[in-house]
Amino acid sequence: MQEKSHNQDLDLLSIEQFLTDLAVNEVGPLIKAESGIHQDYDLKTGKRKVDIVTAIDKKVEKIIWDNVKRKYPEFKFVGEESYVAGVTKITEDATFIIDPIDGTTNFVHDFPFSCTSMGLTVNREPVVGVIFNPHLDLLVCASKGNGIRVNGQEFDSREKLEHMGPLSLRKSIVALQPGSAREGSNFETKINTYRNLLSCDGGFIHGFRNIGSSAMTLAYLSIGYLDSYWDGGCYSWDVCAGWCILNEAGGRVVGANQGEWDIEVDNRTYLAVRGSLAASEQETYIKDFWKCVQGQLKY
Amino acid sequence: MVLSKQELKNIETVLVELATKEVGPVLKENAGKMFDSFDDKANQVDLVTAIDKQIEQTILKRLKAEYPDFHFIGEESYTSADREISDAPTFIVDPIDGTTNFIHGYPYSCTSMGLVEKGVPVVGVVYNPHLNQLYHASQGNGAFLNGEPLKPVERPLGLQRSIIALESGSERSSGSSGDDNFDIKQATYRSLLSDQGGYIHGSRSCGSAAMNMCMVASGYLDAYWEGGCWAWDVCAGWCILTETGGKVVGGNANEWKIPVDERCYLAVRGGASESSQDKFIEEFWSHVAGKLKYFWQG
Repeated sequence: MQEKSHNQDLDLLSIEQFLTDLAVNEVGPLIKAESGIHQDYDLKTGKRKVDIVTAIDKKVEKIIWDNVKRKYPEFKFVGEESYVAGVTKITEDATFIIDPIDGTTNFVHDFPFSCTSMGLTVNREPVVGVIFNPHLDLLVCASKGNGIRVNGQEFDSREKLEHMGPLSLRKSIVALQPGSAREGSNFETKINTYRNLLSCDGGFIHGFRNIGSSAMTLAYLSIGYLDSYWDGGCYSWDVCAGWCILNEAGGRVVGANQGEWDIEVDNRTYLAVRGSLAASEQETYIKDFWKCVQGQLKY
Repeated sequence: MVLSKQELKNIETVLVELATKEVGPVLKENAGKMFDSFDDKANQVDLVTAIDKQIEQTILKRLKAEYPDFHFIGEESYTSADREISDAPTFIVDPIDGTTNFIHGYPYSCTSMGLVEKGVPVVGVVYNPHLNQLYHASQGNGAFLNGEPLKPVERPLGLQRSIIALESGSERSSGSSGDDNFDIKQATYRSLLSDQGGYIHGSRSCGSAAMNMCMVASGYLDAYWEGGCWAWDVCAGWCILTETGGKVVGGNANEWKIPVDERCYLAVRGGASESSQDKFIEEFWSHVAGKLKYFWQG
């Protein structure tokens, strides 16, 4: 319990500032300089030829880890590259959850939507989030109770929502990403659900968008470019930072499968929805969306 | 008459000025602020706004004054009666490409202005004021992004290791309504993505045909496959892509040579040999699950 009250005293804004400096000054320039020039990338396994991991990813994670350890030696650290399946656990302790380069396929191809994504959870809740895309020079960050900053400027979420009109499935733009695993029942569920959402006999949404990065998608969702994002297969480091930012914009994250109202940050399936002026719209939206999910995503 | 290289460059300069000074600011000012004021067109998803029409008039007026003998085809003023694209120099213009993005404030709406002569896209200007990206080119004069030469990095091109723009489009009726374009598209996406099929590195969608063409021209994307868009969606991007060594063929198999109003396209990046482009195209076509059919409708 002592640990918990200690956690609650954290100055989240100063942690946000620390991560922002790290993202903009150390990590961003490296991502920008190396994007698109690595053709001899490693492939994680023979089967999943699509899941690309680069040496640079590991190098960037080390830089972040070294900096974070020096400044916050007591905090835990979960990173994409150092993660061990079944061993790495997210506890109640203050934990940095970091994806050094989110959108690795984008990074390899120089598609300008790779970014660094750095989050912090306390009591397993995302409370700091910093996302920086050096190609578009877009920095979106937030911390719990402190609102959102876009490239250093305070972002007025409420004013944005007033311009966006009502939130409803039929009038929405949804981010959908097939991801890198394209086999078995999860792939079937995704493809069938996409079809249901698009079809004029189904959700008939205004459209889908796919930028190939969970973190960038959540950043875009938080600043009102998108209405929702549905995905399965991503990890806590893909969504932690964006989740905190979205919360500060009045958005909500639930599970991708029907009825999953309360989920942990490492749920692996997510439906993220923007804020709305009327609270009931968000709940209705989630229920309408779940009706289009055909099958069950399991990871 | 055949326009000279210098004449084409002059036209490019006029279009650049029009895009950045007159159209861009209006686009930027109004994006994401008109959610409740659009007319619903086909299927209530293809959104067209009053602003769209206003911008087209601005463009038409300026180009008519500057080039009174040239023909003009615009998304908003187009009727089925003047659908023929003749050999004469013809401006083909989409005042706002990515209208759904424009309505929603997603930063991928742009203005797209092209010129064809003898049916070939010879000038192209695409301006996205939200990201401040100005792509422009004319035949024989090269392509540019914000004034800097645009040249994709030389690297191997192969279907499995590619990322490809695939869009949802706005026509989404299945077979019951008389055509099966929606079904063919969905089946093609599945075949390209599946580990049993093309197993491509990924798909991307930004919701704007013109921006997709420009991202293929940049080499950010390896290819873009589309059915259902119009000449004004692709004309400008086509010229820009060609100037960067890219190639446009039909979206259906074996259509190596197509007119600008084919409505069904496969665009492939430069930075690779022509033989590897052709191999990529043939391999891509093998995943197209049927024949897409589109007609001109008034």
